[in-house]
Amino acid sequence: MKEQIATVRNEALTHIAGLADMKALEDARVGILGKKGSLTQLQQGMRDVPKEDKPAVGALLNEARTAITAALEERKAALQEQLDAAAVAGVDVTMPGASLPEGGLHPISIVRDEAVRILRRMGFTLSDGPEIEDEWHCFDALNTPDDHPARNEKDTFYFDSGKLLRTQTSTVQARTMEKQAPPVRIICPGSAFRRDAIDATHLSAFNQIEGLYVDKNVSVGDLKGTLEYFLKALFGSETAVRFRPHFFPFTEPSFEIDVLLQAAGQAPRWIEIAGCGMVNPAVFENIDKATGKQLYTGCTGFAFGIGLERLAMIRWGIRDIRLLIENDARFLAQFQ
Amino acid sequence: MNVSLNWLSRYIDLEGLDTREMADMLTFAGIEVEGIQERGVTTDLVVVAQVMEKTPVEGSDHLNCCQVDAGEGTLRQIVCGAQNYKVGDKVPCALPGAVLPGGWTIKEGKMLGIPSNGMLCSASELGLPDKEHGLWILPQDYAVGTPVRTFTPTDTLFELEITPNRPDLLSHWGMARELAGITGRALKEDPAAAPTAAAQTQPAGDFITLSAPDICPLYTATKISGVKIGPSPEWLQERLVSIGLRPINNVVDITNYVLFELGHPLHAFDAAKLTGGLNIRRAAEGEKFTSLMEEDYTLTTEDIVISDASGAALALGGVMGGLDSGVTEGTTDIVLESAWFLRSSIRFTSRRLGLGSDSSYRFERGTSPWNVLRAAARATQLILECAGGTASPVLVGGQAPCLVNEELATTATVLEQGTDAKIYYALDQVKLDWKELDVMSNASIPHMEAIRILKNLGLSDTDGKGTWDCPPWRLDLKRSCDLLEEVVRVYGIDNIPATTTSVYVEETAHDRAHDYRMNISRKLAGAGFWEVQTFKLIAAESIDPTIASVQYALPIKPLMDGDIIRVSLPISEDHSTLRPSLAPGLIAVAARNINQGMESLRFFECGRVFRNTGGGKGKDIENEVLGIFMAGKLTPASWANTKPAEAHAEHLRAVIDTLVPKANISLVPAKQARANAAFGADIQINNQACGYFARLSLKVCRELGLPAECYYAELDLRKLQQVATAPFKAADLPQFPGSSRDASLDVPAATRHADIMKAIEGAKQKLLVSANLKDVFCDPTGEKLAADRKAMTYTFLYRDAKKTLKATEVDEAHKQVLDTLAAKVKELRFR
Repeated sequence: MKEQIATVRNEALTHIAGLADMKALEDARVGILGKKGSLTQLQQGMRDVPKEDKPAVGALLNEARTAITAALEERKAALQEQLDAAAVAGVDVTMPGASLPEGGLHPISIVRDEAVRILRRMGFTLSDGPEIEDEWHCFDALNTPDDHPARNEKDTFYFDSGKLLRTQTSTVQARTMEKQAPPVRIICPGSAFRRDAIDATHLSAFNQIEGLYVDKNVSVGDLKGTLEYFLKALFGSETAVRFRPHFFPFTEPSFEIDVLLQAAGQAPRWIEIAGCGMVNPAVFENIDKATGKQLYTGCTGFAFGIGLERLAMIRWGIRDIRLLIENDARFLAQFQ
Repeated sequence: MNVSLNWLSRYIDLEGLDTREMADMLTFAGIEVEGIQERGVTTDLVVVAQVMEKTPVEGSDHLNCCQVDAGEGTLRQIVCGAQNYKVGDKVPCALPGAVLPGGWTIKEGKMLGIPSNGMLCSASELGLPDKEHGLWILPQDYAVGTPVRTFTPTDTLFELEITPNRPDLLSHWGMARELAGITGRALKEDPAAAPTAAAQTQPAGDFITLSAPDICPLYTATKISGVKIGPSPEWLQERLVSIGLRPINNVVDITNYVLFELGHPLHAFDAAKLTGGLNIRRAAEGEKFTSLMEEDYTLTTEDIVISDASGAALALGGVMGGLDSGVTEGTTDIVLESAWFLRSSIRFTSRRLGLGSDSSYRFERGTSPWNVLRAAARATQLILECAGGTASPVLVGGQAPCLVNEELATTATVLEQGTDAKIYYALDQVKLDWKELDVMSNASIPHMEAIRILKNLGLSDTDGKGTWDCPPWRLDLKRSCDLLEEVVRVYGIDNIPATTTSVYVEETAHDRAHDYRMNISRKLAGAGFWEVQTFKLIAAESIDPTIASVQYALPIKPLMDGDIIRVSLPISEDHSTLRPSLAPGLIAVAARNINQGMESLRFFECGRVFRNTGGGKGKDIENEVLGIFMAGKLTPASWANTKPAEAHAEHLRAVIDTLVPKANISLVPAKQARANAAFGADIQINNQACGYFARLSLKVCRELGLPAECYYAELDLRKLQQVATAPFKAADLPQFPGSSRDASLDVPAATRHADIMKAIEGAKQKLLVSANLKDVFCDPTGEKLAADRKAMTYTFLYRDAKKTLKATEVDEAHKQVLDTLAAKVKELRFR
């Protein structure tokens, strides 16, 4: 009996050590330790073992079972390790990725949202108005003289109804002041239209962001501080900003704002980026006259307007404005 | 406007300023510098050369091959086409590498095969007035090799953009006056002051008839007889050439010169071509006029003309002279016009006829009546100097218009000019509100400084209490804010400290709309769609597939005539119509990109669409919508997926589901699809119409080169936002497990999923949580299933919120659902 145990034990251990796959290992377990396995059968011979020998034979059997079980576990672990290694062997991590559908936001959306976020931090809220406007909101309210060239149907899109496509988002200034009492602190991103032939620098439909702040005692310093903060937030804190006196009918004094563009390999140059100014008192008078309330007389305020296409073009060095309306995915992919 | 630095320096001391500083000075005066040109010869490579040999070039009737001595020790061979020189003449010679005015670089080259190593130059090629109509023959005492730069003038030309409120800057004198006012530099003598002070005026009597005093209230004529027409003196030609004008003859040149000197347009008539006196009248409707440029125009009663006793229109007032009345070489007597025209009238005529001139440009921006006599007197002085003759007194018709605020007219300071017929000019009076200045500048501008600025600009403090007389050239100063602008502009915004103040303002509906739009855009971008921005003005119809056109608009509700809004005067038919849908733009984007080889066409746009509610007579409606286009491969192909699946209707439907995942979305088939849709459906979200869903007709797809399956959905952004941002509470997770049962239904092919779902809902089974379509099977061969039938397998999930269901309870509930299905769905069998 003792010899038989030793033989089964040794043969089993030798056999297990030579096994090369999981299936054979499982077969071996069943063949040795299973119900009809060789060691199990020996175990059944215990009843024939003399009583005095039982503890010693029992101990041998237990030791053999423990050793074989351990050998099986060990072999299984080794085989699993081999399998795991084989499973990842030869994987070429330099392979290109599979394709996912690509997508992204349009560059105008990106700059518009960035501009909106900066201005909101400064306490501006959004406002809006129709793109099909009347002359009053587009011109009269904003102190545009009757014979101003912008009113001409060669410069502005009119409809047979007498309405027009707004030439600037400044219409929203009038729209907002009509509806609410000061203080007003709004921005309006939106479309505007001018009867320009489309070329590398002009679109007849384009996007602007308009801003208006009206309260008691708003100063030129506030205008300057707000727009300097805005442009530095947008173009970087080192950005140089200058205000050049200019003329717009609805602000006085009026300024154009330039930022100093520093392109690699080029001399820095001032690029016009926005128009702004202190709201012309005539605009307040026009609003009060139209509403019949005296809400705005005596107020001061500033307004500004920025072309979003221009902002995008300067920011990313886009040479042809038409790229922004052609929507070629190869162009759009650059902004993601 | 072009401004010559040399010319400007005649009126203001600009010593010590370089070009950069000049440009900054102009910029901060509010004058935009659009360009700066260095004029004249600036290179050492243009030298004096002597022509030593001259032989005709064979095969040419005008070219000569010259050997010239340019002081280099050896002779240089140059082929030249000019005719006005001879051997021994000294002429300017541009050597290879020389850059001539206008940016033209001289290179070695060949003419008719003969090497030519430079160019012999005319004066005009060097940016100087042309003298000989050929090479510029230099004095013999000039040494060969001397750079021409050393004896020719140089100049700097500023191209300036003058804002429309400052017509007073449209002249060299005006510009000098402004710069002197801003910088405090000395202004030299006013060139018009002495001649104006000396001018004799007398009433024009019958000679001038003002038939349209609303447009032309003041007209003066000066008769100058015995003039000798000829070339202008060199200094005058140089001035005109320096700003890019071509000298013509002395009288015409002087009218141009005075325009650019004082800013007031003039016109000279040949007195011999006039019959009797001048009549300044409105044109007759349909009256013909031929300009001195020999263009014909048809006039209306809105135009003003200068005619004589014969009735003929001699000039289009303020815009351009006529062909037959101008000064020519044979002219001996002239009539010099200096007048004031209403700006809106000149603008109207100029724009309507597409005819602009330096005169109309100034009149339409507004000229000062105070300049009428000044320009007449200054021009007369110059004509007598340069062309001889004797001048009559200035014949004055009418009176200067009163341009000041009416309420001030009685108290205004009045300037007067002339002798027998005086011209009066009332000055604007404006009160400066110091408190406004303090508010605007945060009290950073000292009042004394403001006073100094205004005085430098020519204003005078009449009562010493802040009521200011504005100078007669400043037509733009009318109100307190105009003076504030002047003070801030000159003081410099740089000197006003920046401040940032903020007030608390409530968030608006527009804020929430913006946020929602950005959220949905980012979601779609993340799902693999390109956001595009297409043009809002589209074509009504276009044969070019890459141009958005209304014919691809797919709203399920048919559009009425006139619902689509068209601009009255489009620039082109391709951009004539406000888009009624984003579909045309997105389809054009897809067509464009597929032409670039893109296989996975997934685009979206958020933006406005436009409709009229009543065929053009109702309200114009502007709606913010989201358009999504999907066609072609679901993903681009790659080595890992060489044949990606194609997009089908259910894929776009899935995208819509992800936008409002909690909502009940259903597509309701449209009764009548539009011509360009293969099929269409209204999209209902929580039983509210919210947009539409369509597949493009296969015909359209073929025509545009698009995949056969193109899907488009358009959703109302505001309605989506309402659903997606409605407040809600989070639900608890179920406490007890559910149990599911599958059922395979064998139904006629025409049975719709919606019919089955409706029947299931009709069972009102409380334990039923969901029913999901798991599989659809059809067999066109009829082998496994009749060809006119389809099998639809649904998984039904049952759950009780309060306990674990027993199998018998689930079976009972499931049976009730299936019985209802069998009763409600026609010809339904279970498989």
